[in-house]
Amino acid sequence: MEIKMNEDIKELLLMVTSIAQEKPELLNARENEIYLKFSETGFIEVYPSLAERKFSLIGLFCAESFEKREGFTLFYAFKQEGMAPVLILVRETGKEKMTTSIAEAFPSASWFEREVRDGFGIEFDGAFDTRRLFLHECYPEDFHPLQKAFKNGPIRQAESPRMEYKFRQVKGEGMYQIPVGPVHAGIIEPGHFRFSVIGEPIFSLEIRLFYKHRGIEKLAEGKSPSECVVLAEAVSGDESMANATGFCTAVEQICGINVPERAERLRAIMLELERINSLLGDLGGMAVDVGFALVASPFHVMREEVFRQNEKLTDSRFLRGITVPGGLKKDIPDSALKELPPFLEKFTRDFESAYNRAISSSSLIDRFATTGVIRKELVSPLNLTGPLARASGCPADIRIDRPYGAYKDFAPQNSLRKNGDVLARYEVKADEVRASIALILRLTENLPKGPVFAESAGYAGNNSSGNISGATGYSLALVEAPRGQSLHWVYLKNGLVDRYKVRTASFCNWQAIEHAVLGNIVPDFPLINKSLNLSYAGTDL
Amino acid sequence: MVNPLSFFLRPKVTETFEFRDEELEALGAEIRKEIPKIFGHSLAIRELDSGSDNSTEIEISNLGNPHYDVERFGISFVASPRHADVLMVTGAVTLNMAEAVKKTYEAMPHPKYVIAVGDDACDGGIYKGSYAVLGGVDKILPVDVKIPGNPPSPKEILQGIFALVKKASK
Repeated sequence: MEIKMNEDIKELLLMVTSIAQEKPELLNARENEIYLKFSETGFIEVYPSLAERKFSLIGLFCAESFEKREGFTLFYAFKQEGMAPVLILVRETGKEKMTTSIAEAFPSASWFEREVRDGFGIEFDGAFDTRRLFLHECYPEDFHPLQKAFKNGPIRQAESPRMEYKFRQVKGEGMYQIPVGPVHAGIIEPGHFRFSVIGEPIFSLEIRLFYKHRGIEKLAEGKSPSECVVLAEAVSGDESMANATGFCTAVEQICGINVPERAERLRAIMLELERINSLLGDLGGMAVDVGFALVASPFHVMREEVFRQNEKLTDSRFLRGITVPGGLKKDIPDSALKELPPFLEKFTRDFESAYNRAISSSSLIDRFATTGVIRKELVSPLNLTGPLARASGCPADIRIDRPYGAYKDFAPQNSLRKNGDVLARYEVKADEVRASIALILRLTENLPKGPVFAESAGYAGNNSSGNISGATGYSLALVEAPRGQSLHWVYLKNGLVDRYKVRTASFCNWQAIEHAVLGNIVPDFPLINKSLNLSYAGTDL
Repeated sequence: MVNPLSFFLRPKVTETFEFRDEELEALGAEIRKEIPKIFGHSLAIRELDSGSDNSTEIEISNLGNPHYDVERFGISFVASPRHADVLMVTGAVTLNMAEAVKKTYEAMPHPKYVIAVGDDACDGGIYKGSYAVLGGVDKILPVDVKIPGNPPSPKEILQGIFALVKKASK
């Protein structure tokens, strides 16, 4: 098989081979992704140098019986900030289901490894945290849902839950713990926070999530790509469009489908509307969390107006049921599209007035400034992305670094702040609303006419020449969801999904909160949490 | 020095929004009329997420925004199940949340009602057959009203609340 490579990929390959003594096996390469396999000694030689070269571990996932291999195959996805290519090192565990941890060099690996261990039963030698992650105490021992031997269905729950989940113990004079959740006081999702505090200031925080683990990845197994879109949309409701686009992009890459330009443009318009909605929720919610309803209300009004625009465009307030592999299920009515520019013009005026009211309040600034700082040094090791990384001096944005769809021709204005506090995040979010508005206006201008669905996608119209039905292959897609980088890896076998791995920005970003709250007072926790806008559903899957 | 007159002369901070929805107003008035028959002066709802995809939470939160502002109809969302007449559950019940769901329900005073919101909460929805969920909310709690939708709109949720109030007063 001849593998075509662009310059960036060639350069990356050269760099990696210069580290190792041995020549790796090149398994596959595509625009912006390359799969290499080293021997075990080669892998152990290479990965620490990647950490030194400022690569982030953006994903670590597993597949069973991958390409007729026996046992389990691990995929380590690395990316350098600002660079397009993703380097994927493939590692096999063989039958012993035992391998070594890389969490010392890449802290983001810790949760990934725990996730793989729960799902597949692979042990990571040397891991500093071996507690279960998404399987809570109600799940029996030796239960690993993502193994192919397990057929999805009801299971016998553990009768007397084994051991209590052990939280980090912090002891000392005057130290006490505050357990919060999983059920919280507002209309929000469930999760558990264990604070260790001395008086008011937080000394340590440990989070425990995955209460909402619904088994999305297992449900995807054996489904056709078009059936899987609803699962991608259900990963995180307010990022339905982003995750559907990520999943479909991966499938389109595998099958070599060229999405029509009109569909690409319409997808981007909807992705930006979704982003605006998410950001408005934050700008309003953060004001609510400092008890400032007057400032919050206009943002909530605007958000509802955007929901209604969404409904006019797609019949769904959450832009659901429109994205399919190959493009869009249906075209968007011109009447709804024509409404967008005047709507956004009025929206901009309302937005600026609401934002000015917020940012000119000294009491709001007093609460926001210097609160919940995330240092830039944490960004790469924890693979933090999205507005929170951009507020900590790190400009990474997949739409710019590794553009997909219409973003190849329409780059957004990047926003950057250095302080990393709640205020910096507030400012970045406001900038991003403006940037999204500007982008939508550019995207709607001279919108090309034509089809919104690639005929070659086939499966939809019982077209036997279509190339999704029967396709085998794998590919990785990255999209910039409202919360940051969202990773989608799809492995198709004979046209059906054999493995769908999704890792949302929140999965990594959640770990920032344990650092951001240190030294802050407990009453500032809700504000810090809101400013990070982390999705529980998108993490728990 | 701030001139005290400026407080009167500067623009008002309360403005009128142009989004009166007669259908919503009529529904709200009906609810406002029905609630006192059985619940005293207001209906206290505790929202509980048992495994949703978060879109349903967003629509329930939207009931409080200025377009709907359901508190004026006598509906309030409360922080504790101890204060609640109604438990509004979203999402298929996950194994990891089942115990917390039961405990939340048990913490409510009698009489108590349960509303399941969204397709997943109604019957498990797209999660049917998953190892990780028990199914709809009625697998572990007595459900009085089901509001289907992916997710249901704020108005549909309000209609569901109305259905519950009617049911309770019978």
